[in-house]
Amino acid sequence: MSREHLGEFEVIVLLALVRLGPDAYGVPIRREIEKRAGRSVTVGALYRTLDRLESKGCVSSWFGDPAPERGGRSKRYFRLEALGLQALRQTERELAAMWEGIDLKKAPHVS
Amino acid sequence: MLFRLRYGKSSEFVLGDVMEEYTQGEQSKWWVWRQLWSVYAPSAPATPRIQGGKRMYWPLSHEIRFAARTLRRNPGFALIAILTIALGVGVNAGIFNLLNAIALRPLPVPEGGKMVAIYQIFHGRVSRSVHGAPSLFSTAEYETYRDSNHVFSGMVAYAPYLQATLGGETPREVMGAYVSCNYFDVLHEPPATGRTLVPSDCAAENAGAVVVLSDELWRGRFSGDSGIVGKTVTLNRQAFTVVGIARPDFHGTEAALESFWIPFTMEPALESNQSRGWTAFPRRSVIYENPNMSWLAVIGKLKDGESMGRARADLAAIAARIDRQYPGRTTTLAVNQANYASMPEARSIVMGAGAVILTAVAMVLMIVCANLANLLLARAAGRQKEITIRLSVGATRGQLVRQLMTESLMVALAGGILGCAAAFAASSGLLRVIMQHAPKDVPKFGLDVGPDVTVLAYSLAMTIFTGLAFGLVPALRATKMDTKTASERKNGLLRGGLVGAQVSVSMVLLIAAGLLLHALYAAQTVDPGFQTKDTLAVSFRLGNQGYDAARASSFQRQLVDRVAALPGIEAVAQARVTPLSDSHIGYAMTPSGGTQVEAVEINVVSPAYFPMLELPIVRGRNFQAGETQAAIVTQSTARRLWPGGDAIGQTLHEDDGRIFAVVGIAGDAQISHLGRSNETYVYLAPGASDQGDLQLLVHSKVNQRAAIRRVFRELDPNLAYEIAPLESNLEWWRAPLRIVGVLSGSLGGVALLLASLGIYGVAAFAVSRRVREIGIRMALGAEARSVQRLILRQSMRPVLIGAVIGIAGCAAVSKILSRILFGVSAYDPLAFAGVPILLIGIACLASHLPARRAALVDPAVALRHE
Repeated sequence: MSREHLGEFEVIVLLALVRLGPDAYGVPIRREIEKRAGRSVTVGALYRTLDRLESKGCVSSWFGDPAPERGGRSKRYFRLEALGLQALRQTERELAAMWEGIDLKKAPHVS
Repeated sequence: MLFRLRYGKSSEFVLGDVMEEYTQGEQSKWWVWRQLWSVYAPSAPATPRIQGGKRMYWPLSHEIRFAARTLRRNPGFALIAILTIALGVGVNAGIFNLLNAIALRPLPVPEGGKMVAIYQIFHGRVSRSVHGAPSLFSTAEYETYRDSNHVFSGMVAYAPYLQATLGGETPREVMGAYVSCNYFDVLHEPPATGRTLVPSDCAAENAGAVVVLSDELWRGRFSGDSGIVGKTVTLNRQAFTVVGIARPDFHGTEAALESFWIPFTMEPALESNQSRGWTAFPRRSVIYENPNMSWLAVIGKLKDGESMGRARADLAAIAARIDRQYPGRTTTLAVNQANYASMPEARSIVMGAGAVILTAVAMVLMIVCANLANLLLARAAGRQKEITIRLSVGATRGQLVRQLMTESLMVALAGGILGCAAAFAASSGLLRVIMQHAPKDVPKFGLDVGPDVTVLAYSLAMTIFTGLAFGLVPALRATKMDTKTASERKNGLLRGGLVGAQVSVSMVLLIAAGLLLHALYAAQTVDPGFQTKDTLAVSFRLGNQGYDAARASSFQRQLVDRVAALPGIEAVAQARVTPLSDSHIGYAMTPSGGTQVEAVEINVVSPAYFPMLELPIVRGRNFQAGETQAAIVTQSTARRLWPGGDAIGQTLHEDDGRIFAVVGIAGDAQISHLGRSNETYVYLAPGASDQGDLQLLVHSKVNQRAAIRRVFRELDPNLAYEIAPLESNLEWWRAPLRIVGVLSGSLGGVALLLASLGIYGVAAFAVSRRVREIGIRMALGAEARSVQRLILRQSMRPVLIGAVIGIAGCAAVSKILSRILFGVSAYDPLAFAGVPILLIGIACLASHLPARRAALVDPAVALRHE
């Protein structure tokens, strides 16, 4: 798995998990992404990505106790795993290498 | 499975997230919907791939786009398919829509779903008087049910189809209803002007001479007179005070449009004595008081929380209590949601006819499906290359079937929507056509034929069924990897089978249509056994115009004398019921020498009746002028009542004590029901009490209508009457046949057209697939003619097999039809020989064109053909 690369949204979700620390669940994750990245995220898209990250071993999840403000429904908590951290580091390295020495203001062949 | 849902039951936490954010008040409802859609929308990974051994599917939207592209590339196929489906589904939806409007939709009143219609069905020893239909209630029964039930918040009674003469400068017959005085309250029907009926109107018999007028009558007859409330109108010469006008869209609780409503306590005063259907009451004015008289239809409104089941149980207990007063009788109740066809008698007719017609249109849809399946099979052969490639690069059969089914469902949906739109738009037109073909004195009907949820659901189900029916088999066939020859052979068999099925189904439709049309012809030309030519029927009713027996008698005498004296009049006769009219009078009579009470249909006629209609008196003598208490029986009646003995000199004892001596025997004729001449039918000489009911029959070769009108005007200018040729009575019998005949004729025509298109398509396809083979045959010396014969033979084989099966099906269908056909045997040679010949002829023609093309194949070109 370690050779598989993360998708752009996967990176964003993992970074949100790093920011939120332990005990993050759907609502704060979604809000964090909306607030920071300024893009709207649907619950469906978020969980699809989290599911995929979980199946890759980058995150793990467990269920909390039912909460009354959620109509008696439980929360699903997510935690960043070592594999996820490693993948993030690799992405960071790759991106940094690609960005090295680039100044978009001087991009030559874009009109 | 067409859709893949992301989360099944374990989606609790997702809902929790959405709810948490929503309850914090930051998000809109729209946001919630968008989130839920994002979670539950049918979706799949963006690209189909194999993951963990499981096949993944394209998202549905992708399938739809792909299907649309395929169909756009082949617009001819798409167009033909959509149009034929539109035809098939449209006919089905249209017919169902009408049936729904008549017999399924609840009454158009507030909370119509809570209205329950109740009818009585008697078993065992029943002696009952009937005005209207046997399943109606008597006044006493209605009151018992109304006062002792626990399930209704209110219960109304009404007697529909009340025809009365509305007085004025030109007296006119109008139709209304007797209603209980809680009628408008229970129905939640407020007046537009004035008030509706209140309990005090029904306080005593003949006390509440008040009337509520319909908006239509008020605007039409009274020119919308704003001061009408409080004024007096006359109905059957009885003065009624107008207390209110109903709202414009209220027309009563029957399909027929009613124009006035009066308290049912006024029945004895109004003394209406004519009704449609079976009328059997010996004494007038005993309708209201008679505890054993069927005349009121009853509707209850369920209390909140009460169910139909509890209502049935509660009412059954009351029925059992009433039955105790009538030993040997048990009553079951028909308790159903009220609609325009609640009455069991009407319901069985409507549902029976509806079932037959729905079956017929379903057959047309089956032919449509078979046709399209054939077309798709042919198309699949053309797409074989594409399908093979897709299979070999890794597509699964399931994916391809799903893709092909998406295509056929899309075509079905497009066709279904088009067909339904056309059918619903045409519904009111169709209703008009039916009304135009109905006899002219059928009351006007008001039906809401706008489609409702039931109709839309039915149409959608029909459409999806169609898509599955014509798409599934070809999709499965096309994606099955057989060797080429095996697959060709199987496809050929399948196509042949589909053609055979089409032929047999259209055969059934056509033979049914043929039988009906033949019966219609027979009905137009039938000899009922008496003379109807040059005879006018003048109908009027003195009985409810305030005439007593003595005045009626003198009026009748003067009328007969004056009309007979007009120039050119050959004969004048009187009869209570004109031959083959829609009204029938039944008496319960005991023949001398027997104890068994017989139900006898009677007519009261003057002596001139028999010679005028050329009805022979085969034994005994005719009535004499002034004779009363005498009877003439028909031959069949004589045989039935006094088997082995002589009827003349015997007597008939009526229930109420009158005794009639049989003085003659008349020949059997279809005097009461067309096509039936052997009923128990007795003619009675007119007595004093009959004078108010007698109608006039005038035989004349010259048109003396104007002169007859003058006589009426001189005798009583306020009397409403109608003059019509006696032959128009036959209309009652022909109209249903004509409607069914026109309908089945056009359905048969559509079926024939579709079937011949199918046969042509299959033959043409067979030829195009075999161009090479034909070329080889011809290169080796086969003659053009023998090639033509080969193609013809092969395409006709399924047709012939289908025809044989079809004829067997027809034998079964015609047994059912024979009950409503007269003058035609159920195994009518004309229909059974003519239709197969017609169909096979058309099939020959349809396959002849491709066969000729086959014969024109140029071997040199054909051999190069790929």
